Amino acid sequence: MTPVKIPHITIPKKHKEGAFEIRMESIGGLGANVAGKILAETGVLGMGLNGSNFSSYGSEKKGAPVKAHVRLCDPDTPIRNNSPIENPHILAIFHEALIKTVPVLQGVVPDSTVILNTTKTPAQTREMLKLHGGFIGCVNALNIAIEEKSRVNIPMLGAICKASGFLDPDALRNTIKNVFGRKYPQTVPGNLKAFDRGYDEIKIEFFPPDEKYPYQPFVRNPSKLGYMNQPIGGVVVSAGITREKDLSPSRVGFIPILDLDTCTHCGECDYACPDYCFVWEKGVTKTGKEAIFLRGIDYNYCKGCLQCVWICKPKAISIGKESDYNVDKLTLPHPFRKK
Amino acid sequence: MGTEVIKGAKQETGFLSGNEMAALAASQINFHIMGYYPITPSTEVAENLDEMKAEGEHDILMIPGEGEHGAAAICYGAATAGARVFNATSAQGLLYALEQLPVQSGTRFPMLLDVVTRSVSGPLDIRGDHSDIMMALNCGWIILLAKDPQAAYDMNIIGVKIGELEDVRLPVIVAYDGFFTSHQKRRVQYFTDKSLVQEFLGSHPPKYVSIDPRNPVTIGPYMNDPDLINNKKQQSMAMEAAYNRLGEVFDGFYELSGRRYGLLETYMMEDAEVALVILNSAYETSKEAVDRLRAEGFKVGVMMPNVIRPFPAREIRECLKRVKAICVADRQESFGGWGGNMTIEVKAALKDDPDNRTLVLSRIYGLGGKEFYVEDAIDMLRETTGAADKGRVDVPFEYVGATPGDLNFNPGRIQNPLTKEETSQGIIKVTRDEASGKWDIKGVSARPLNEVPKRIAQGHSACSGCGIFPGLDIFFKGIQGDVVVLYHTGCAMVVTTGYPYSSHNVTYIHNLFQSGAPTLAGVVEAFRERQRRGEIPAADDITFVMITGDGGMDIGMGHAIGTALRNHNLIILEYDNQGYMNTGAQLSFSTPLGHATSTSHVGPYQAGNKLQHKDTAQIMAACNIPYVFTGIATQYRDLIKKATKAQYYAKNEGMVYGKILIACPLEWKSEEILGLEIIQTAVDCCFFPLYEVEHGITTITYNPEDKGKKAPVTEWLRLMGKTKHLGKPEYKDIVERLQKEVDRRWERLKAMAANPLL
Repeated sequence: MTPVKIPHITIPKKHKEGAFEIRMESIGGLGANVAGKILAETGVLGMGLNGSNFSSYGSEKKGAPVKAHVRLCDPDTPIRNNSPIENPHILAIFHEALIKTVPVLQGVVPDSTVILNTTKTPAQTREMLKLHGGFIGCVNALNIAIEEKSRVNIPMLGAICKASGFLDPDALRNTIKNVFGRKYPQTVPGNLKAFDRGYDEIKIEFFPPDEKYPYQPFVRNPSKLGYMNQPIGGVVVSAGITREKDLSPSRVGFIPILDLDTCTHCGECDYACPDYCFVWEKGVTKTGKEAIFLRGIDYNYCKGCLQCVWICKPKAISIGKESDYNVDKLTLPHPFRKK
Repeated sequence: MGTEVIKGAKQETGFLSGNEMAALAASQINFHIMGYYPITPSTEVAENLDEMKAEGEHDILMIPGEGEHGAAAICYGAATAGARVFNATSAQGLLYALEQLPVQSGTRFPMLLDVVTRSVSGPLDIRGDHSDIMMALNCGWIILLAKDPQAAYDMNIIGVKIGELEDVRLPVIVAYDGFFTSHQKRRVQYFTDKSLVQEFLGSHPPKYVSIDPRNPVTIGPYMNDPDLINNKKQQSMAMEAAYNRLGEVFDGFYELSGRRYGLLETYMMEDAEVALVILNSAYETSKEAVDRLRAEGFKVGVMMPNVIRPFPAREIRECLKRVKAICVADRQESFGGWGGNMTIEVKAALKDDPDNRTLVLSRIYGLGGKEFYVEDAIDMLRETTGAADKGRVDVPFEYVGATPGDLNFNPGRIQNPLTKEETSQGIIKVTRDEASGKWDIKGVSARPLNEVPKRIAQGHSACSGCGIFPGLDIFFKGIQGDVVVLYHTGCAMVVTTGYPYSSHNVTYIHNLFQSGAPTLAGVVEAFRERQRRGEIPAADDITFVMITGDGGMDIGMGHAIGTALRNHNLIILEYDNQGYMNTGAQLSFSTPLGHATSTSHVGPYQAGNKLQHKDTAQIMAACNIPYVFTGIATQYRDLIKKATKAQYYAKNEGMVYGKILIACPLEWKSEEILGLEIIQTAVDCCFFPLYEVEHGITTITYNPEDKGKKAPVTEWLRLMGKTKHLGKPEYKDIVERLQKEVDRRWERLKAMAANPLL
């Protein structure tokens, strides 16, 4: 690709090793990995910097938490550190719901900028995050993505670019054109628009570390099970313990809405649900027979696949926009979740 | 690299990962053949090459094996035929292929194998350490290391060159760190003109070939004493030749590229009094630690060998001559050997210098991909400095980064175990007339069965819309009483057992996916034998079920057939999502014709998968086991009845095999809400017929023709992103071929159903 000529790039902030560091917190499927690649590739090939980029890979599943890391430094500074970014200059959170299950704020220092995909204001965000102090940038990336037929990652890139103070928007636009132009040329105009809107619409405010909330250091090994108390051989003795997890951050906007007045208790929704969210209770039918009755949905596990909507013959389940509901009130916990 | 004046050929600056660089080197080398089998984190090498192939960027014939053992054998065969050959693998893949490695080296056929290093199971861990590559030390292969993406590219080119030298003729491994290097993008340089790479390597004149009838040769004779020792002496001489000639190959590569490699990689070793010896990506990280300690006035350095077979003992002795103390940090342990393999080998190298007084600390770090931080390297160097100052080593061998845990925390049960009463409530009533074999199964309806507790708990981390979990739950609704399950490696395993969690409400075992069936056979037989000996109450009654993906029935086909032929009392249930989805959607033998996967890309030079889908149910039926069935979630009554029968047969007669088609919205690139519609349409177009084979008698249990629902395959294909291209006119012939094969198999099945002898 043709580098965009930029005479002087002054990287405003650097760690000991000379790198400006960006950490993205997301869930699989929102494109944080691609955003990291675009950003780092722009820095290196488009702006002539040195850089590296990697993601927190596991057996990556859609909806599972992921992190993407980008380091950028002066052209002559070698990049040798292969470890994850602990004290990011920019922390970009692609998915607001992650905040309740992942300690995303770890290592954020007062000169960090936290960028959140949200409808909230920076002040509201500070309260929600209980942030020690620093810059907060808010952008409604989801809305931009929907309106411009893009994905959350592209307006987030625009916002990151603006917040960085040194990334060149034209160079980023150029990379976006190259990345999408090759295989999906029809998506380029929408993506560029989404990028520009992320750049223009981010609202950044500074909050001094006023002791209101404590600093959250980066914790490297929080595991309670170690070599003195792991059951040998890696055996797990707690059958079914995934029940204690909260899977709701896997959802990306939509939930099934159950109308019990229309429900015939046929039971087929339970046969379509990969996440076993339907809650049944014993009762007595009008004719006096003992039977089980569907009472609700435990949204703690619902990933929003909506196959229950597809299978429901009486159309008692419909598609709802999660933001239109108070899911905590709507949810009916499975009996084992009731303390 | 950034400041070095680039010598030689014109190069392009890129921003690529280790796997991308390895694939790029392979494409420029233009190997004849790549035999491979997908395994994380090496899979991307084959994926990238397949994508390039679809774009016409190279001519490498890509052959997916049925497992790494088969892939290695494909490579061996191709090498004997005079081809330049490539493979890439990791961890279990390397171990599964291991038997073939000494065959390749002992019969002296060069090839190149990229080992993208990863922790060896078990328990299964997909992240990076060096426990795999150290298993290969004794295989007779040259082993080069590549510390970063640039080196992955360079060493692949260097590796081919050194292995093919006339007096060497040995296969070569290039090892780079899984994830840290394989998946990390860096600024890199590569040749603009691939002919430069090919000229550097020269032609590939094989010594002996298996495909020259005018020159018949016997490759691999039966060779006992007194002769084999001489073959091994020749191998040893070849390794020595490699040791002597690596320098000139490195020099030649420097002339071409401007990048200088030596037998050792050193940083600040010239006046170092204390040093760290550490391999690959952690070596790079350690340079930061050296800089920081040097700034404090400590004379420290770091070193790694670029080649570990042949081991550069002489250079290491020389490098460490004046070093007072070293820490050898190993990313694996040779258990009971008081160190990792590098510790043992570095100590052995130093022993040959009678004047050497270097103290050696051995530290195990970073196992299973545990991150290695600059601070870890600083701690190691500080401790080693302490030893140098004192003149003695207090703790010769220790783990770094292992944690004792919170001793006040003891994991235990969070719920009472499922009871027989709960799981066999008598909702389903089964009677079988022993004389006629006729079944009467009552009570199979959706609502009441929701009262039966599930064998799998909520909270698993499958993707949204995953078809595995409705499929398994429906199947288990038909299984009453106690069960023990064994899961092959695959999506269902990974998303239900991420430590310290488990979604299994019943006892669960994992084994690698070539060996699940015989493992469960061992469990069943031990259960029965212990029962016979009175160690377990005779009344105990367990149904044993193995869960596998279609991938497990590729690599594990041989073992599954063996288990079927022995007719053990167990059920194998395969969830078929038409590819290796857990590792990123590589093709399996169950991938239908024309479907796009990450190893069957669609492009100007390639039109998706080239092969028709495997008919696993018929293969298993040919083993003459008592019961074989297929099923899908949308036909749940049918599936539950089949589960009921399966339980009967597994308890009373022997092995059962069942296959369910399940949706994978992520890798089928389809809408999550349409998962069930897609599998129903696959059945309605007769791609996936629902039937059973009971004592050899075939019965079609759902006939879309009778229901007036028979659809063309296009109705099914249009629902998925992976088959979107098949709607275009240029792929019409592929769709026709698929339709023809589907029709042929369906007509054949109907004929079998009509005739009890078929």
